[in-house]
Amino acid sequence: MTAPPLGRVVATELKPSTPHQFHFWTARESPIGIGAIVRVQEAGRTVYGVVTDGFAYSDLVTPMHAVLGADGDPVAAGDEPTARAEIRLFTVAVLRQMPEEPLQPVPLGPVWLADDADVLLALRMDSYTGGERASGVPVGLYAAGGLESPVYLDCDFLLGPEAAHLNITGVSGLATKTSAVEFLLASIFQTFPRHKGSVAALCFNVKGPDLCFLDQPSALSDEDHRLYQRLGLRAEPFADVHYYAPLRPDGVNLNTLRTNEALAGNTEPLIWGLREVLDYAEVVLNRDDIDAKADAFIDFLAERVVGREYQDDMLRGRPFQVQSFADLEEFFRAIFDFMEVLGKGGEVWKTHHLATIRKVRNRLSNISTRSKGLVTDDGAANDLPWGSFADRGVYVVDVAGLDPLAQDLVFARVVSKLREHLERRDLGVEHVVVFVDELNKYAPGDGPETYVRKMLLDLSERGRYLGLVLFSAQQFRSQVQRRVVGNAGTAVYGRMDADELATPGYATLSPATKIKLATLPKGELMVRHPHFTQPIFVKFPRPPVLGGREGIERYPPSGDMPFAAAVARRLRSLDRRVSAEAVFEAIDGRREDDVRRALSATRRERPTDPLPYFVACLGRRVAGEVVLPWRGIPAVRRGEDGYGA
Amino acid sequence: MRLAHLADPHLGVRQYHRQTPSGINQREADVARAFRLAVDGVIAERPDAVVIAGDLFHSVRPTNSAIVFAFKQFQRLREALPEAPMVLVAGNHDTPRSAETGSILRLFEELGVDVAVDEARRLEYPALGLSVLAVPHTALMAAERPSLRPEGGARHRVLVLHGEIEGVLPTQRHTVEYGGALVGLRELGMEEWSYVALGHYHVQHEVAANTWYSGSLEYVGTNLWGELADEREQGIRGKGWLLADLDRRTVTRESVPASRPIIDLEPVRGEGLAADALDDLIEERLRAIPGGVVDRIVRLRVYDVPRHVARELDHAAIRAHKSEALHFNLDIRRPEIHRAVGVGAPGRRQTLPELVRDFLAHRPLPAELDRDAFVRLGDELMDAVERDVAGT
Ligand SMILES: Nc1ncnc2c1ncn2[C@@H]1O[C@H](COP(=O)(O)OP(=O)(O)OP(=O)(O)O)[C@@H](O)[C@H]1O
Ligand SMILES: [Mg+2]
Repeated sequence: MTAPPLGRVVATELKPSTPHQFHFWTARESPIGIGAIVRVQEAGRTVYGVVTDGFAYSDLVTPMHAVLGADGDPVAAGDEPTARAEIRLFTVAVLRQMPEEPLQPVPLGPVWLADDADVLLALRMDSYTGGERASGVPVGLYAAGGLESPVYLDCDFLLGPEAAHLNITGVSGLATKTSAVEFLLASIFQTFPRHKGSVAALCFNVKGPDLCFLDQPSALSDEDHRLYQRLGLRAEPFADVHYYAPLRPDGVNLNTLRTNEALAGNTEPLIWGLREVLDYAEVVLNRDDIDAKADAFIDFLAERVVGREYQDDMLRGRPFQVQSFADLEEFFRAIFDFMEVLGKGGEVWKTHHLATIRKVRNRLSNISTRSKGLVTDDGAANDLPWGSFADRGVYVVDVAGLDPLAQDLVFARVVSKLREHLERRDLGVEHVVVFVDELNKYAPGDGPETYVRKMLLDLSERGRYLGLVLFSAQQFRSQVQRRVVGNAGTAVYGRMDADELATPGYATLSPATKIKLATLPKGELMVRHPHFTQPIFVKFPRPPVLGGREGIERYPPSGDMPFAAAVARRLRSLDRRVSAEAVFEAIDGRREDDVRRALSATRRERPTDPLPYFVACLGRRVAGEVVLPWRGIPAVRRGEDGYGA
Repeated sequence: MRLAHLADPHLGVRQYHRQTPSGINQREADVARAFRLAVDGVIAERPDAVVIAGDLFHSVRPTNSAIVFAFKQFQRLREALPEAPMVLVAGNHDTPRSAETGSILRLFEELGVDVAVDEARRLEYPALGLSVLAVPHTALMAAERPSLRPEGGARHRVLVLHGEIEGVLPTQRHTVEYGGALVGLRELGMEEWSYVALGHYHVQHEVAANTWYSGSLEYVGTNLWGELADEREQGIRGKGWLLADLDRRTVTRESVPASRPIIDLEPVRGEGLAADALDDLIEERLRAIPGGVVDRIVRLRVYDVPRHVARELDHAAIRAHKSEALHFNLDIRRPEIHRAVGVGAPGRRQTLPELVRDFLAHRPLPAELDRDAFVRLGDELMDAVERDVAGT
């Protein structure tokens, strides 16, 4: 407050002050820029605002006067004896008035650049930072005129219950969307207050190596370190990260770029069985406008057949035990065979039309083919640790290499399970941030209704009451289902595409703000948050974790390994002491199917000594012994055989 | 390549009290006779190999007479088929409880029988292009089971195994013996074998075209009547062994005629009947048996007989029938017990067995326990108790 004012409010008939907007002038060399936060202090009233536009002009009436005055010579224009008076005028959107009542036009008064304390008040952060029950989460640093202040989001409005969800938009590569989310998650994990309970993150890795190295530190510049310090954060990667990736169709290699042996310890296969899939069959079937009849048949399968003993003497003497897709296929075949025997009469089986049965069978077998590697045939699933999620744990599900259909399945099941567990309060944590990158793919604004989009919408609408929070990112916000992004309490923008800015969604931004957004450097963001009445620009440091591109350089993927090596890798990830040679010896000459089965049994059991267990599952090999033909025996005198003959 | 597949002879089993003129338990003699007939049949067919899929003897320590008898039968086989491989695996009945106890089965090695007692053996008969993996009960109970996969390039790959294949037996399998090792279908890998010879389940049963239980040679199970019911349900007539032709991929059932008829009579409903009326009905049923009850095994269930009526039946007559028959099971059941229960649908109270079944069906169980099997066992025990209560 000791610093001199930088400008003064002006109000004219043409540019009057209103309760939410005013103008002020400054000297030519003032450090004010678009996005700067300023304070007006006059007559017991304090007004905070953010600069949204700027103008400069002189006393010339028209440009013609300038041209004539310099005789049309731009070189001569600089030689005028007296410099023309130049005015710098800025437009400010009001952030906050104190006192708030009565709400009045902004008074004519001196204007200061906001300092830390001002920023706190201007953004109403005073209500949730500091004190016993602080709930501020640093999102970045507001900077203007050599001053810098941390900006906090209110976690009650970021992770619920007041509001929730965050969406970030901006052009590829420059907007630093993925980086910003990584940074913010780190910030949340470090500052989410204990009294608000526990929090975990579930990230879907949808693009190459993007989120594959969240547990590895990145090389940060001095400036980055300074920013961390200023924000009161530690530049540390996530301490507790669990990776889940489906297998490749060979059933032993992982379908991810995180295959470097050094990272194998916390990278696990994601494997689901028929049961897991069938419960979410509608995900995949909805696409094809499956009808009520098919639904009824799927229900019949799910409730009566799969995972239990199903006896129908008409189909087969012995009961069906459907545990896997292969078993299910057997069951379908039995129905078809039976219907064929019936001939003409065989159109309806147990009220289900043959055509419906065929349709369901085709769809289901389509799932199993297209999600081979995710879906196992022997029923031994390996799933996320439902019920024992850890506070500050990060669970990454890598779907980048999956078929879109299988991706949908993973999304649907994972989110639904999170929801079920949070509803029952038995997930292990109270809040989960779900990060979905490339949201435009999963919740597009146009195109047919899909289960995944409905689910994301539902999550954005109801998740906040459950502690289920969606962090999403995409290049073009205008291409995403409006209600999904609309429900995000916090919206963040990185460098934006000019065409995108021209779409109606950005109409409320001033031209200068749009231009600033279109030229925003890496590491700077515009943030909308319920407490901020205007969008605020902040800068943030590089995330404390290794990015995808650097990651694969430092930890080159090992690529798909030969079967035996991949099996050894899987076992070594359960126990480092297992030697590859011992595994090779154990599986030499075995059927691959048997090896896969033994591997999945071992994974399910998690014995203290995986190798002997694995070998036991494979079964002891019985060496052959050659028996030479028996060369008769001398006949023994035959007598009574003791039982009367 | 023709293979004779026998299983579960249970030599030495003793049932009921009747003895032969030479003082041998009659059923023990019946069982021996069945085995002798089977051996006759095998000799007549002259197969290239013979396998016996477990439970040759009913107990770990059979009587001397059972041992001598078995030896003589194998000797007959060996004389008739001097070069044929003969493979014998131990079942849950004839497996010693501890490894130190020697197995009598080894005796037959003297006759060139290849015996697998506690470990699986892969027996190669190059001259025949035959490889047999012989898997006794104990090998399946071990922590590390053998891998049930054919190896090597033999043309005929045969698996001989004593145990219960999971999920392939009829749902109402009252008759599956307890104590068998469970083997999963995938673990079995039927497709890779030319033929899988199974033992343990006493009713002949086709698991797949190349995978069979040959069944026992006589009715030796603990649940004779259930076994009969299973046979009826599955359309199986009597006992026997199998002749598998591995080249033609055919399996022929070779029957062994039963020593004596086993007759499960149409039950009598006793409700509202006095003792003398019941006596008449019982007599009527028994008279209707062609040839009468003499030397036969007969069961007659009589339902809804209160204790006081049961006491007044003509017990002298019943005793007379019992001594004529080899075994006459007059199964008199009291009216179902209507123990008052607070819950349940109005109008009908749960009977005690229902109550027990209901309780067992809902009580918490360790995850690894198969609830169906558990409830079934409860049912059977209740059934046995009811029968005892009613019969005395
Ligand atoms: N705070 C930062 N300051 C400067 N550069 C940064 C910062 N954060 C990230 N970057 C750099 O910006 C680049 C793009 O970042 P990022 O991958 O997060 O962008 P994106 O918007 O997610 O891109 P895409 O749409 O392609 O996924 C990276 O090379 C990263 O190193
Ligand atoms: Mg990205």
